[in-house]
This record gives sequence, C-alpha cells and structure tokens, in this order.
Amino acid sequence: MVMKVFSFLLLSVGIAIAQTQNPLASDPAAASVGKGMFRVYCVGCHGINGQGSRGPDLRSTQQHDDQELFTTIRKGSQATEMPSFEGSIDDTGTWRLVTYIRSISKPDDGPLPGDPANGEKLFWEKGGCGACHRVNGRGGRLGPDLGKIGRARTRISLRESILTPDEDIAGGYGTISVVTRDGKTITGVERGFDNFTVQLIDLSETFHSFERSEVQSVTRENRSLMPKSSLSDSEVDDVIAWFIQLGAVKAKQ
Amino acid sequence: MKSFFLALLVPLLLPAQVTQEKLRAAQNDPNTWLMYGRDYQATRFSPLSQIDASNVAHLAPAWIRQARGFEPFEATPLVFDGMMYVTGADNRGMALDLLTGKELWGYGKAIPKGVQGCCGSMNRGFAALGNRLFKVNYEARIVALDSKNGEVLWETVIDDFKKGYSATVAPIVVKNLVVIGIAGAEFGTRGFVDAYDADTGKRVWRFYTVPEPGEPGGNTWKSDAWQRGGGSTWVTGSYDPELNLIYWGTGNPGPDMNGDVRPGDNLYTCSMIALDADTGKLKWHYQFTPHDVHDWDATEDPVLADLTINGKKMKTLLHANRNGFMYVLNRADGKFITAKPYTEVSWASAIAPDGKPMLIPGQEPSDEGTRACPGLGGGHNWQPTAFNPRTGLYYFGSSDGCELFYKTQQDYVEGLWYQLSTTGPVPKLHSKGSIVAVDAATAATKWRYEMLRSPSGGMLTTAGNLLITGDQFGYLIALDARTGKLLWKFQTGGSIGAGPISYSFRGRQYIAVAASGALITFALPQ
Repeated sequence: MVMKVFSFLLLSVGIAIAQTQNPLASDPAAASVGKGMFRVYCVGCHGINGQGSRGPDLRSTQQHDDQELFTTIRKGSQATEMPSFEGSIDDTGTWRLVTYIRSISKPDDGPLPGDPANGEKLFWEKGGCGACHRVNGRGGRLGPDLGKIGRARTRISLRESILTPDEDIAGGYGTISVVTRDGKTITGVERGFDNFTVQLIDLSETFHSFERSEVQSVTRENRSLMPKSSLSDSEVDDVIAWFIQLGAVKAKQ
Repeated sequence: MKSFFLALLVPLLLPAQVTQEKLRAAQNDPNTWLMYGRDYQATRFSPLSQIDASNVAHLAPAWIRQARGFEPFEATPLVFDGMMYVTGADNRGMALDLLTGKELWGYGKAIPKGVQGCCGSMNRGFAALGNRLFKVNYEARIVALDSKNGEVLWETVIDDFKKGYSATVAPIVVKNLVVIGIAGAEFGTRGFVDAYDADTGKRVWRFYTVPEPGEPGGNTWKSDAWQRGGGSTWVTGSYDPELNLIYWGTGNPGPDMNGDVRPGDNLYTCSMIALDADTGKLKWHYQFTPHDVHDWDATEDPVLADLTINGKKMKTLLHANRNGFMYVLNRADGKFITAKPYTEVSWASAIAPDGKPMLIPGQEPSDEGTRACPGLGGGHNWQPTAFNPRTGLYYFGSSDGCELFYKTQQDYVEGLWYQLSTTGPVPKLHSKGSIVAVDAATAATKWRYEMLRSPSGGMLTTAGNLLITGDQFGYLIALDARTGKLLWKFQTGGSIGAGPISYSFRGRQYIAVAASGALITFALPQ
C-alpha cells in the first residue's frame, strides 16, 4: 500500500510539473535563446549541433513528445549519464531548450530495418562481438558493456562504430602499446594514463600497470582494437536492430 | 611591581591574534600562512628550507583530514596560532588542530535555491584579522566568524544572486577593510571590487569594473551594454602598503563570445586595476585584451616583485594572463614593461612597446566555430602562481592548445546564461599542459615541465629550492625550482585543485594541500 501511494505521488508530481503543451513551440525567439543555452549546458555530451557524441543524437527525437523531452531535461534519465537540470534551468528555460531541439529535428528515420533476433545470434556467433563486449552479464570485458547501448546511441552512430571503429573511440577504450625495458611489447585497451603511470588490459584480459619512467616507450594509438566487421550490410542492420532494443526507454504510445 | 607582573601576563592571557602589522610583515614570518597568497605580494614563497631539494623524496603524510562535502576543495588554508582554517564548497568551513587535524569547529550554511554560477560553489579560502575570519558565501554574501568557535559575528549581502551574482573568492584584509571580488560575468552582471569594515560588515567602498556613460572609460561601451558588461573579479588581488594600492585582475566582458552588442574596448574588463586602498578610487589600469571575445579573463594572480630590470630597481607586477602572454608591469603607474607568449598564441603576434596587442585577424568566434589559441580556459587559468625571489623565476600552470570558438545570437534574459556560446575541441588536436617557469624580469620562459594537461593545483615555492604543485590525477609533485627536474611525487587519491601551502609547527616544516575531499599534510619523518 505504501509503495502504491508513493508511486501514485510520483506520477502526480510528474504530471504537475510538466505541461502537456510547449507554450513556446515553434517560437523562433525561444529557439534562439534555447540554442544559446544548449551550447552552455548540453554540447558537452550531445555535440555542438546536437549530433550526439557521449549522449544521443538529438536530431532524432521524433518518438518522444515535448512533455517527455521537458521531463528528461528536468529530471534526468535514469541509468544514463543524463543529469537533472532542475536546479539550474527553470520551466521557461526548459521549454526554450525543447523548442531549440525541435528546430534541429531531421525527418524521421522511418521504420527500423533489420531482424533483432537474428542480430542477437550474429552478435554471439558469426560477428564474434561477444568476445570483447558484454550484454547482461555475458561476454568479454575488453570493450564497452553494451547492455544499455540502445538508450545511449542512435542507429547512425552505432553503424559508424561497427563499420569504422577507429573514427570515434568510446572514452576509456583507446589502444595503448607499452615496450618494456627488456623489449617486450604489450598492447591493450587503455584503462589509465596519467602524468606518471599507465594501465592497460591486454587481449587476454590481463591487467598491467607501469611507471612510465620505467619502460622503454608508451604509445597511445589513434585506433580501436576492434577488428573490421565480417558482417554483410543486412546483417549489420540486424545487429543494430537488436542494439536499439537494449536498455531502450519505451516510446510513448 | 604589580603592574610589571600584569604587563608580563597580558601577552600570555590575550589570545595571539592576526594584527595589521603581522599581515604587512607576512613575507618575513616563515611559520604562518596568513592570507590567500601567503603575503600581500601574493608570492606563495615560503622562506622555510627544512624540506629541500636534497631530502624532499623522504616526505611522508603527517595527517589526513577527511572533509566530505568540501570538494571541489580549492581553498588555500590559513595557518596561525596552532590552528588551520580552511573553507570548502557549498558554504563550508572548519578550524583544525595543527598537530592532529582534528576539527575544533565547523561552519556551514545552506545555499538558497536559485543561485547561478558558471562553475560551481567552490570557495577559495578565509581571510583573517584579530579574532575574526572572513569568507564569502556562494549566494554573494560575506560573513565574519569568531575564529575561536566559528560563531557568525556579522553577515552582509554583497549583491543580489537573482541577478546572477555569486561569490567564491578568498577575501584579502587591508588595514581594517575586508576586500572582495565577485563572480557572474556569464549572467549579464556588472562586476566590482568591494571593501567592508572588518568590525561592522558595512560596505566602505565599491569600485565598478565597468564604468557608466560619462565616467572615464564609459565611451568604450555602446548604448546600455555596460549594464551587463561583466568584468567580474573572482580571484584575490594583492596589495602594496607603500603605494597604498590594491591590485585586482578583472574578467571577461559580457556576453563572452559575442562582441557585436558591445563594440569598443570594453574597459575595465580583461584588465589589471590599481585601486586606492582607502577610497577604492582607480589609480591606473592596464587592459590586456581589449574587446575580448574568447573569455580570456585577466583575473589571474597579480604578483608583486621588486626586480632589477636593465640595471634599474623597479616595483613590478607579474601576471600570467589567460590570453597566452606573461606580462611585467610597473605597479606604481601601470606602465607596460614587457610581455612574452608562454604558450601557443594565435590572436596577437606580440605586445607592442606601447602595451597594445598586435592583433592577428580572423580570430572572432563564429556560428560554425573558429580555431583560436589558447583555448577558452587559457593558457594559464586561476590556479595560484608563485614567485621565488632566490631563483628570480615566476611559476604557473598552462594549458597548451587551441579550441573552436562558437558564437550565437540571443537577447539578454535576467538570471539566464548570457555567454552567447561556447567552445569545443579541435578535431584530432590533443591539447597538453605544462608547468612554466619564466624569468620574472624578462618574461622569457626559462624552463617548462610538460604534462598531459595543465596542473590543476596551484604553485608553492620555497627557500629549499622547491616548486610544489598537484595535478588532476591526484599527484602532489615536487620539482627543483631552479631546473624543473622532478624530485618527488605522491599519489593522494584525489584530484588536486588547490594551492599547496607550507608552514612550520613546533620546529617542523609542513606542506599541506587539499586533494578531492581531503586535506593532507606532509613532513619529513622524525
């Protein structure tokens, strides 16, 4: 009973803070101020033009209405890095941001191609992705955990990551090579790099840590350890279709 | 006879206090740390030499005070009379026993809702006079605390936080005045330097860093742009008791990245100002970056050094500006002496002998992004600097790289960000950082210690030929102040965002620094 009342209260609060209509919808002045705010508060994760980087591409928000965008900005998004801006942006400011985000919307991507069930199979079998990536506690530990990838990335950026993994390497997953004083080379995923030390995990998932002054050389490479994809175009579509489902927030019906 | 004993007893009974005389002589007292920059000259040079280049490798922690909630911990602690006084983020402060780090009292005040700041509620430290400690609170207030128990003696509103003002600066006490600066130039505010009566908290004077129309400098603004002209003063200044001048650096004009609404030089933003300590009247000014559009605040330390330049003794002011140049000014009249770049600079080829920058065109922020160097944060940012009179070198951290500067159009809305855009990384460009040591007399770089990024902690230099600083990866680092050679490092377990200090207690020299949410002291093993 207590829980039910609590949930009901949360729901009521949610309804109370969010108006169903954006009072500034399509207002160019609001979009202009919103753009200024966007470049202060949002670009760090969503990119200078909203194209997405650490956070999702905001040019593809068609599945969500204005009220949902408003609530996400105010409350943050659970289980993602999206914080709450409740203390720093007021109602009007939030609507201005929503108006700007709408102004940069691209046409809808259309229905999603690909077969997610086959995508899951390809991920674990032919693609060999599970050797390095983890989903729901299964798989390797070398690459990023993809259990909630559908919440964080758009299908465009997922495709780029599969086909050209060197172009935009996820933070903390760069490649590093260390040559020790006795001439041995260890290559792996960078897990730490500071002014004096370096940490990495090699391909057998063994952790190494060195003082940089005590090795022959340390090279940070502008490439990902992820190999070139062996999948066909339609198979890539299938994998992406499965990724999009992982951790995705259900769109409002 | 009776009165003789009384005279002997009085000094013992009266608590030792920070007097105006002690503040003026702070440079000569090796044992204490009485103000933000250690002395009125803001040198952060400790005359102590028990810890030196030969034995610093043996340094070990003496005590660690965990202070959850103080992070980001950017305060410079004060040390006197067997106590350490330090402030933290979110309006916190505490008094610690110098022997053990145990807390004698704590201070805290909730931040009211709606305070806007560009960069967080950190606080840079206390100032002291008599039995009082002074600090600003984030919501643009100044408070005086009883140093014996932390009780609030007075509290004064500096200005209205709803307009976008906030405060993080460590005050400086000059005579019986508590002098402070303000933050908020990203919110369309108008900056100032204020002086408050140390006894009553009443404001004695205010100097607006942006003049009104009709005042000298007022013609460097158009229409009513001066009302939102910025020029905040968020880093502590310095003081020359002989000249009776207070020196304070001023921040960016508002809005930051779009200068179209404020044509002109925009005095006295991005400038050094010299104010009469008694009246707050402007004695001179020098503008480093006229009509700034890159957010290159000139709030960095104004350090006072008496140097021999071309055979002539001069009272100088050293200033490593965010715009990439290191300046030497004559602090009696503000005249330009010399300036040299200490990092990659794309906006000016040099500073001409008349003190004006020789501009390189095409540096203006744009909607699609314009590459300019250094980046928004500099060059050198706010982190404390140090001048060592023995080496003649001036030390500071530097971010070495470039950024894309963007610009937007937007009307001013009270209380909202009024920065008119931002910066982003230049694709495929990896910015680096360094500790820079420049010859104070010539501004020429003597040595440079390269790092991944600019060291996030400030500088401390000592008579033991040491330069001590910290980085964001948690290392406290000691270099040879003469050569820049690495002598010692210690992993503190938390990012260092404060200036280290040194003091002596019961015959032992200590180094203290805040790292993440902890305060750590170091000494040589006994």
